[in-house]
Amino acid sequence: MIRAAVRILFALVGTLAVCTPVIAHPMTGSNATFVQSIQGPAVAPFMYLGAKHMVTGYDHLLFLVGVIFFLYRLKDVVLYVSLFTIGHSITLLAGVLGGIQANAYLVDAVIGASVAYKAFENLGGFERVLHVRPNTKLAVLVFGLFHGFGLATKLQEFTLSSNGLVTNIVSFNVGVEIGQMLALTAVLILLTSWRARSSFMNYAFVTNTLLMTAGFVLAGYQLAGYVVARG
Amino acid sequence: LRVAESAPAPAGGAPPRKILLATAGAAVVAAIILFIAVLPAEYGIDPLGTGRLLGLTDLAGGSGSAIKRQDTAYKTNTATFEIGPYEFVEFKYRLEQGASMIYSWTATGPVIYDFHSEPDGAPAGYAESFDKAQMPEAHGTYTAPFSGIHGWFWENPGSKLVTITLTTAGFYTTAQEFRDNDSSFHSLDDIRR
Repeated sequence: MIRAAVRILFALVGTLAVCTPVIAHPMTGSNATFVQSIQGPAVAPFMYLGAKHMVTGYDHLLFLVGVIFFLYRLKDVVLYVSLFTIGHSITLLAGVLGGIQANAYLVDAVIGASVAYKAFENLGGFERVLHVRPNTKLAVLVFGLFHGFGLATKLQEFTLSSNGLVTNIVSFNVGVEIGQMLALTAVLILLTSWRARSSFMNYAFVTNTLLMTAGFVLAGYQLAGYVVARG
Repeated sequence: LRVAESAPAPAGGAPPRKILLATAGAAVVAAIILFIAVLPAEYGIDPLGTGRLLGLTDLAGGSGSAIKRQDTAYKTNTATFEIGPYEFVEFKYRLEQGASMIYSWTATGPVIYDFHSEPDGAPAGYAESFDKAQMPEAHGTYTAPFSGIHGWFWENPGSKLVTITLTTAGFYTTAQEFRDNDSSFHSLDDIRR
């Protein structure tokens, strides 16, 4: 039963990742209106927005799934996720506080490419096809920097009040980490229970191929957006 | 957490050929998804015509942006209707799908009204109703969910004559008044005079 359920769940996640009409992942509606109306420090709202952005951010989540897919030791999971966290925290804070404007489409295209990169690495593509061994830790750190720029550009789309800006950005960042912990826990529980079964190795290849497909779709979608926006 | 002795080779050590095929397959499937669904739905880019076929291109223009451009200037119209006791009048504008109008009307007494629309090609007498009430006035905006004629049915439930004054502005092309066995077109005001 559990086995069937896990298998179905993974099939669903895979299908969703590939088939969901891919929409950009900005903050919208009442959240957006609220963010712009905030004057002064607002710890809880920004933490909530950060957590929500991470939990509902399939681009970040897919990358994390790719990163921890073959990490069996908790120690390794903590190490790699910390590298990712350090990376995206640096650029989120520097991006918003330093007013560094990156093109949202290009940043999101790199984030999509990071998913495909990680999936290709999981397939053994670098070692077996290209005969290179790129440093996996460095790659996670560098892609973490891009994910942070992605988070920053989402926040920079709004006219944020400079009153309490540092508090609010840090709150947003803390929220991102909380959301990441929540999402990671769920992914780890699913992955761990799946690994105990023989289907894991049987479908690991297919799953990473699907992951790569999703990464290509995300990257293509954002590149097309870049071309359209330049018009 | 279940701890393994050591991490196994990624994906069980697949042969290079298989990895290359998977990568190429992923790229091809991604391209298909992009061209068939994502680009038409998100940007209205529809090189294969699948977006129009599946109705995805509508997503690109409509819900995504607050602006919906029109090819022509809007028209304005003011009309008055006298409705005798227990009589009715209908007044409808022709609007294409997605075209909007704003309206205000006031009556000298309470009237029963029903704002409804008749889609093009629908069987005679078929109408979709959007707003029904008994009120002496109403104001609002309307965006046609389909091409057809769209407007009001007003009925005077009282024993005194009621006069309704309607003012609208919108991307309509004709206006038609219907009474018992009788209908006539109203002229519309062009804002570019």
